[in-house]
Amino acid sequence: MLKQVVRLLMAALVVSIPYAAAAAERVVDPVKSWDNHLKTWAVVGTVVYLTVTIPLIYFVFKYRRKHKDEDGAYIEGNTGLEILWTIIPMIIIIMLGVQSWAVFNDLREVPKDHIEVKVVAFMYGFEMYTPEGIKTLNELRVPVGNVKVNLTSKDVIHNFALPAFRTREDMVAGENTYLWFYAKEPGEYPVYCAEFCGSGHSSMLAKVIVMKKEDYEAWVKSKQSEAATATLTPEAKGKNLVESLACLGCHGIAGETKAGPALNGLFGKTEELEDGTKVVVDDAFIKEKIADPKAKPIKGFGHIMPPNMLTNEEYEAIAAYLKTIK
Amino acid sequence: MTTAQPTGFKSWLFTTDHKKIGIMYLVTSLVFFVVGLLLAFVMRTEQLDITKKVIIDADLYSTAFTIHGAAMVLFWMIPVLTGFFANYMIPLMIGAHDVAFPRLNALSYWLYVMAGLIAVMALILPGRLDTGWTGYPPYSIVGPSNTAFYVFAVHLLGASSIAGAVNFITTIITLRAPGMKWGRLNLTVWGLFGGFIIQLVGVPVLAAAVTLLLFDKYLGTSFYDGTKGGSPILYEHLFWFYAHPAVYVVALPVFGIVSDIISTFARKKVYGYTSMAIAIMIITVVGFETWVHHLYVAGTLNWTRVVFMWGTIAIGVPTGIKTFNWLATLHKGSIELTTPMLHALGFISLFTIGGVTGIANGLLGLDIQIHDTQWVVAHFHYVLAISMSMLCMGGIYYWFPKFTGKMYNEKLGKIAFWITLIGAMIAFLPQHTLGLDGIPRRYWKLPAKYAPEMRIAVIFSYITIAGFLMTLYNFVHSAIKGEKAPANPWNSKSLEWQIPSPPPFYNFEKIPTITEGPYEYGKPAEEPAKSH
Ligand code: HEC
Ligand code: HEM
Ligand SMILES: [Cu+2]
Ligand SMILES: [Cu+2]
Repeated sequence: MLKQVVRLLMAALVVSIPYAAAAAERVVDPVKSWDNHLKTWAVVGTVVYLTVTIPLIYFVFKYRRKHKDEDGAYIEGNTGLEILWTIIPMIIIIMLGVQSWAVFNDLREVPKDHIEVKVVAFMYGFEMYTPEGIKTLNELRVPVGNVKVNLTSKDVIHNFALPAFRTREDMVAGENTYLWFYAKEPGEYPVYCAEFCGSGHSSMLAKVIVMKKEDYEAWVKSKQSEAATATLTPEAKGKNLVESLACLGCHGIAGETKAGPALNGLFGKTEELEDGTKVVVDDAFIKEKIADPKAKPIKGFGHIMPPNMLTNEEYEAIAAYLKTIK
Repeated sequence: MTTAQPTGFKSWLFTTDHKKIGIMYLVTSLVFFVVGLLLAFVMRTEQLDITKKVIIDADLYSTAFTIHGAAMVLFWMIPVLTGFFANYMIPLMIGAHDVAFPRLNALSYWLYVMAGLIAVMALILPGRLDTGWTGYPPYSIVGPSNTAFYVFAVHLLGASSIAGAVNFITTIITLRAPGMKWGRLNLTVWGLFGGFIIQLVGVPVLAAAVTLLLFDKYLGTSFYDGTKGGSPILYEHLFWFYAHPAVYVVALPVFGIVSDIISTFARKKVYGYTSMAIAIMIITVVGFETWVHHLYVAGTLNWTRVVFMWGTIAIGVPTGIKTFNWLATLHKGSIELTTPMLHALGFISLFTIGGVTGIANGLLGLDIQIHDTQWVVAHFHYVLAISMSMLCMGGIYYWFPKFTGKMYNEKLGKIAFWITLIGAMIAFLPQHTLGLDGIPRRYWKLPAKYAPEMRIAVIFSYITIAGFLMTLYNFVHSAIKGEKAPANPWNSKSLEWQIPSPPPFYNFEKIPTITEGPYEYGKPAEEPAKSH
């Protein structure tokens, strides 16, 4: 018996060698290997499910009790059969495991030619730093190619989830983690925070923008010259504040409702508060809203807006900026 | 030794009788089940519109899933199995008058009640818990929630569990009737035995983990502060070292009960009894080698993730053995589809779905995409939450005549079963799609394009909840108005059915001598079992 078991295990190893070989000459597109892996799993899973349910239903109909005191057949078990349904699942699991291991290596081993960016999470948003040191908020711009992302957090644990690239990793204050992805085609890809981090968790959204190399370089240039000529108007200062304080994680500026109401066209608008009273939006209201959001909560939303203690000049800058977006 | 059954309110309050304590566990845990269902109803209602607030804001949604998870896992599933089924059934099944330490047993129960009260307070008082049932730092430390409630509830519950584990492990080892060899124990007893070993090893680790949380939050230590030399990941390791095996504290007794129900209603010996018991013990041990799958994307060393992938998917093997043995027990059986039997079969079909999706979670390469997504929510509701709650209902039906002395309503039982099953089959299916797209869990609001999927999820969740409530109504109604039950309505061979229903005060007038196992249906007569 033992011999048979050993022989079967050897067979399983031989069958899995192709997978190991595939792992050696690494496929560089982890998305592809992940999708293949999912397909294998789906086939195996369907077979397993049917192997259980079909006999289950069949037996229930076939062996229904005919008369009251009928007993079933007296069978203790069958060692051969029991070994069979120990070995077969074992082989299946070893094969799936070996494949998964290879996919995991694809997903975690960073190819040599890559650029490195850094992302810092906070409640509730992502600060992104390009290799050139340009800081953006909730928007990571990268050129086509391999990108390694170094991750950390300012406060609680967050997670940088990039479903389009089949990868994600936690972001922990005081620790450095990483992931990498192959930015294959220009486009916009969503980023989620996949670790519960408080009431703003589901509005902690961002995107990765993959650009053609030329476009990316042009963007870097324009950002760098922008920074060089920076004597800012209050409106521009306000815009920067709104972007850097993560207001846009919860607020749209083009009419769209996110976790909070859109910020455009607010001035002069009459809002209904939770207790039913009405207020007209003006500079004082904006200031109070930012300093103490829970004082006058707008009806129909959660109490999730975090307070921000700023200078008077900064409150005014934000109000000035909000006036400009219609 | 008196055999008169004491009655009255005080006889319950001060009781050390394992049967009364068992029933108190049952009633209390069912109350928490209803609380959990209510919160599930609230969360699903909030998902009627996935882009804006329906009835609760993000804060309350967090509280809802926190208390839902805690109530369901810590105050319903674990107590109903290790409290009710263990208390009521173990002494009857092994042929004992009571448990080894009856007063410790009562203490376990009252600690559990107090932990429950604290958990309910955490729902109502300011600083509501909102950390998820996992209580991860730093959020549980720097966040607004009153973590002390969480910690004290876990402490009391932990003390209760450790006392229970010591008590029942001792009971099973020392109080078996003459002739009740290990090979003649009901698989329910085997499953509970495995579960109690896990409790004994794991709970102290959990208690330590949450105690450090308390120190960090209120005494200013920094065990879990990554910026001051600690590590929040340490908490995750300690927490899951217990909390992953905790699912086997639920699963192993459930596996045992499934075997008992199937054997009784197929009137056939459990196929491969020995491999069933071995599989339970293997899971007990290997269950402790899997916890890092909860840290697959937590910055864990790459090779550590690979090692724990093998531990995790290895569990699939003993689980597979059990499933195939159940099928083989049905083969050539004499099957009667009573309400408990339907629940056992319904359990297998839901559990298999969850098992298959669980392999995907266990496979490291796949999990990186679906970790902490809606996929996981779907997976554990199939594999554990709903399937095993359903099976507990089946177990309660099965032994209902035994512990109440009344018959339940068979027709209502079957209707409620089908409603629950249809609901449960579909309620979490759509969330797999969201998971594959990488949409995280614990999300108050979701991307708008998933509205159709979530609508289906909401409607079928309502159906599932309605089904469960009908089952509960059946229990209450039948306990009051049911017909009187015979001692052994199922004509079972298992020891607990050989005494009157409900059992007399000390169970057995004289401790019986056991001559054969609990599943010897249709044993050929030419070889009469010899009393040893
Ligand atoms: C975590 C999510 C979140 C963040 C971050 C956030 N807000 Fe809000 N905000 C809300 C919500 C929800 C409301 C509506 C409920 C309320 O009034 O509290 C709101 C309301 C407002 C309003 C009132 C809108 C109206 O219709 O009158 C203003 C103005 C506002 N926020 C500005 C800001 C600014 C400026 C920032 C950045 C400093 C910011 N918010 C950051 C969630 C957020
Ligand atoms: C009809 C029944 C049920 C429904 C409709 C339901 C629904 C839900 C929903 C909507 C969530 C929140 C998911 C999220 O936003 O991430 C959830 C979480 C959860 N449920 Fe259930 N549930 C049900 C029964 C159960 C049962 C019986 C258990 C028992 C173990 C259970 C255990 C959990 C756990 C542990 C969580 C996770 C909580 C957390 O994230 O901290 N559920 N459930
Ligand atoms: Cu988050
Ligand atoms: Cu686990």
